[in-house]
Amino acid sequence: MAERPEDLNLPNAVITRIIKEALPDGVNISKEARSAISRAASVFVLYATSCANNFAMKGKRKTLNASDVLSAMEEMEFQRFVTPLKEALEAYRREQKGKKEASEQKKKDKDRKTDSEEQDKSRDEEIDEDEERLEEEEQNEEEEVDN
Amino acid sequence: MAAAAAAGSGAPREEEGSGGEAAAPQPQAPTSASGARLSRLPLARVKALVKADPDVTLAGQEAIFILARAAELFVETIAKDAYCCAQQGKRKTLQRRDLDNAIEAVDEFAFLEGTLD
Repeated sequence: MAERPEDLNLPNAVITRIIKEALPDGVNISKEARSAISRAASVFVLYATSCANNFAMKGKRKTLNASDVLSAMEEMEFQRFVTPLKEALEAYRREQKGKKEASEQKKKDKDRKTDSEEQDKSRDEEIDEDEERLEEEEQNEEEEVDN
Repeated sequence: MAAAAAAGSGAPREEEGSGGEAAAPQPQAPTSASGARLSRLPLARVKALVKADPDVTLAGQEAIFILARAAELFVETIAKDAYCCAQQGKRKTLQRRDLDNAIEAVDEFAFLEGTLD
């Protein structure tokens, strides 16, 4: 089991793949270098977490949120990460929302198997309601835990 | 709590936030068709790192995701910087010393000094 936080490494295969895709074809990486990069990535996460946590504490929150991490990036002088991270966050949020809607939709389809037309109409209405509700939830999520 | 609103819909609320401690293990990073876009690092491992910090109480799912993505960007960045050193030495294999050089040369990597041994 991991004794220290730094020993918690990220999967070698993934790290290797990321490195290879970042470098031109035909470039190799020694085992020591790869393992050092993997370790560096863990240290990076730990350091970023610590920075982000400072921002959360400043905001009197106990839960780290996305903006804490973004602030941490700037603090760590990795501003160049901020834009791609924001884009990734948007995409992630869309996907999460899509997943939720999809699973709720499936559930409805299941419930409604018997009836058709009339149900279709009301289903459309309900989807709108759900979207509103989802928006509300998202707002709630952002304001979030201050309990 | 926000959870109450979601519970009304009947769909299990998988999201984050207050569920930080009790949350079920995260599934592999969003592996949709555009998996390469979102994140390749398993969120569970990133979360383990985050929780290793004694000062951290909870971390939202989005925060974990962004950290994972940031770690990927970091790996790309440091690999490229290290490669510049290797290129100068006309080598095609990245060595450990290339990494050490990059860490010394680039201010942003200063936090790594002494941590990789």
